Amino acid sequence: MSNSILESANAAASTSAGTPASTTVMSMQQALNRALDEVLAENPKAVIFGEDCGRLGGVFRITDGLQAKHGEQRVFDTPLAESGILGMSVGLAMAGFHPIPEVQFDGFAYPAINQIVCQIARMNYRSRGALPMPITLRVPSFGGIRAPEHHGESLEALFAHVPGLKVVSPSNPHEAYHLLKHAATRPDPVIFMEPKSRYWQKGEVDMADGGTPEGAKVMREGRHLTLVAWGAMVARCLQVAELAAEDGIEIEVLDLRWLKPIDAGALAASVRKTRRAVVVHEAPLTSGLGAEVAQLITQSCFDTLKAPVERVTGFDVPYPSGDLEDEYIPNIDRILFGIQRVLEYKRG
Amino acid sequence: MSGRHTGEQHSHTVEGTDPQLYVEVHEPQNDAGLRPVLLLHGFSSSSKLNWEDTGWLAALLDAGRRVITVDLPGHGRSGAPEDMDSYSPSRIRADLLQIVFDAGARPLRDGDPSSGLDVIGYSMGSRLAWEFGATQHELVHRLVLGGPNVADPLADFDLVAAQRYLADGTPIADESTAGLLKMAMLLPSNNIFALLSLIEAIKTEPYDPAEAVPHMPMLLVAGEKDDRAASMPELAALGAKAGAMVEQLVLPGRNHTNAITSRAFKQGAISFLGV
Amino acid sequence: MAEISFPLPDLGEGLIEATVLEWLVSPGEQVERNQPLVEVETTKSAVELPSPQAGKVVRIHGGPGDKINVGEPLIVFEVPDNTAGIVGTVPTEEAPKRRVRLSAVLDED
Repeated sequence: MSNSILESANAAASTSAGTPASTTVMSMQQALNRALDEVLAENPKAVIFGEDCGRLGGVFRITDGLQAKHGEQRVFDTPLAESGILGMSVGLAMAGFHPIPEVQFDGFAYPAINQIVCQIARMNYRSRGALPMPITLRVPSFGGIRAPEHHGESLEALFAHVPGLKVVSPSNPHEAYHLLKHAATRPDPVIFMEPKSRYWQKGEVDMADGGTPEGAKVMREGRHLTLVAWGAMVARCLQVAELAAEDGIEIEVLDLRWLKPIDAGALAASVRKTRRAVVVHEAPLTSGLGAEVAQLITQSCFDTLKAPVERVTGFDVPYPSGDLEDEYIPNIDRILFGIQRVLEYKRG
Repeated sequence: MSGRHTGEQHSHTVEGTDPQLYVEVHEPQNDAGLRPVLLLHGFSSSSKLNWEDTGWLAALLDAGRRVITVDLPGHGRSGAPEDMDSYSPSRIRADLLQIVFDAGARPLRDGDPSSGLDVIGYSMGSRLAWEFGATQHELVHRLVLGGPNVADPLADFDLVAAQRYLADGTPIADESTAGLLKMAMLLPSNNIFALLSLIEAIKTEPYDPAEAVPHMPMLLVAGEKDDRAASMPELAALGAKAGAMVEQLVLPGRNHTNAITSRAFKQGAISFLGV
Repeated sequence: MAEISFPLPDLGEGLIEATVLEWLVSPGEQVERNQPLVEVETTKSAVELPSPQAGKVVRIHGGPGDKINVGEPLIVFEVPDNTAGIVGTVPTEEAPKRRVRLSAVLDED
C-alpha cells in the first residue's frame, strides 16, 4: 500500500474475509494509476507523457496525481500530435529512458503508425540490439462508452501483425495492475490496450501475488466449450458462461491477455479438454485476431475438435456511432448463438 | 451551444449586388413558439464575440427563441466589399430586411405570437436596430437596445488621422479616434480597411435618432459606468413622444465593454421579449 | 469523490489574464455541463465561460474585480469517482439479459 496516490481508493479499500491482507478492492482506473505510481517510484528512468496526462491527470484519470507527486520532469503534457508523442518516445528510449506514452484514444494511434511500425518495432532489430526500445504504449481501447468516431476502435490485429511489438490487454483491475507493472519493465515495446468500458468496474486486486504475468489465463473452468476473449469481452463471456450453465453447458473462459505473442499452449490445453471453441472480439471479423486464434486451435486440436472454431465479432464496417454500439459489439445473445452453432455442428 | 443552426455566406442579392454577409439561424431545442430574434453586434465586434462568447445565444436558445445572427460588413466572417455603398447604414438595413425574410420572419399579425421579429442591438447595433424599427414597424415587434447612443461616436472619427497612423505611425491627436482605432486593431480578425470604409459610409449618413423614431415597445440598457447611461433618458423621451412604451435598465458597476455579459441584461431582455 | 480543478482557459489572441466580473455559481451548487459559470473581462472583450463538465462546485477563485492569469485555478468541482472523462459515458453494469437458450445433446465420448 505504499506510494498510493488515490487516497479515496485506500479509504474505500476493504479486505473481506478469506482473502489475503494484500487484497484491495479498486477500479481498473485506480489499479492502473497505482501501477504507474509504483513504476515511477521504482524506475527513475520511467517517464509518462501524452495529451492531458500531466496537469489534468488524463481524460480517464489514469495519471491522476502523478505529476504532482513525481514532478513535471517525469509526468507531462504533450502537444496534440501523436506522431510527436511516439517520435519522442523513440529518442527517449535511445537515451536510456523507459517512456510510458499514452495515446488518448485508440483511433488517435493512426497518426503515429509510422513511428510505431517503422521505428519503435524494429529499432532493436535494425541496430543489432544496440538500441532496444523499452516503450510501454498505453492505448485506451475498444468501444462501449458511447463515444464519437475514433474513440471505439480495436487495433489489436494491426499491432499484432507488426514484428517487434508485443500486445497485451487486461480484463479486470487485478490483471490491469499486474500486467501494466510487468509490461513497464520489459526491454521491448509493448502496446498496452486498456478496455475503457471496464475502467470504472471495481474488483479485488491482490497486490502481492499476481501469478504469472505471461500467457493466457483460465478465468472460469468448464468442460463443454472454450470461450476465448480479451479485454472487455472477457467479462461478457463470463456472464455468458453463467447463463450457459443454467442450460447445462459448462463453459471454460480463457482470457488470452497477451495478443502477441499468443499463448498457443494454453489454447491447446483448454480446447483439447472441451473440444469446442468460440472466439469473441469487438474488432471486425475479416483478418481479425479471431482468425489467428482459430488457426492455432485447429493446428493443435484438429483431431479432437467437434466443430470448426466459431467467431463472434464486430462487423466489417467502420466502428459505429454511440447509438449503434450495442448492435455492433458482440452481445450476450450473439455469443450464445455462436455457441449454439458449435454445439449443433454435425460432421459430414 | 445547444440547438441546431445553419450557417451560410448570405448570397441573396439586394439591389443587384451580393452583400457577402455571414448569417446563422439557430434553432432552439424546445421552441417557445415566439417570433425570431435578430441580433446586431457593435462596431469592431462580431456575432461570435458579441453574442456567442458572452452567453447571449445560449440564453436565448434556452428560452426557446429562434435566433438570427449576422456579421456586419467587414466584421467577423462576412466579406469586406470594396465599394463604399456596401457599408452605408441604409444599405445594411436593406440587407438585414432581406436576411430576416429569408430566415422566415413575417409581418406582425394580431394574435400570432410567431409573427414579426424582435431585435436586440448593442452599441452600433443599437443604432441600426433603432433605425430598422423605425422603418420596419409592420415587422418589428419589440426592441432591446444595449449601450445605445444618442449621437454616433463614429461620426467624429478622424479618418485622415487614422489613415496617416496606419500608413506611417503618425500619432493620432483625437482621443476618441485613437481609442476606437486601438480597439479595432486589437482583434486580428478585423479588416481595418473595411472598418474605415464603414466609418466613412456612416459619416455620409450620420445618426439622428430624432429623424425616425420607432414606436414599438423598447428596452434601453446601459452599464452604470457607461456615459450612455446618462443620455439614455433622452432616447427614452424620444420614443415615448412617438408613442412607444419605453423601459430603461441600468446595470450597476458595468461599463460599455463589460455590460454585455451581464445576467441582468440577458434576463431583462428575455423577459421583455417573451410576450 | 474526486476533485477536478478547472483553470482559466486560454481566451485566445495572446490574452494572459482576465478580470472576474461576476460569478454565476457558488460553492455547494450542482452545475451541469455548459452551464454559465462566470463572467470575465479581458482587455478585448467580456465573455461568459461555460462549465466544461457537470459536478458540484467546491471552490471558486477570485471575486469581482480580481485578476486571474490564464492557467491559474478558476473553479474546483467535486465529481463522483466513476465520472467519465471528457468523452463518452460510463457504462452501466446491468444484470445480464438473454433471449437465446442453448440446447444440445452432448455425447460425452
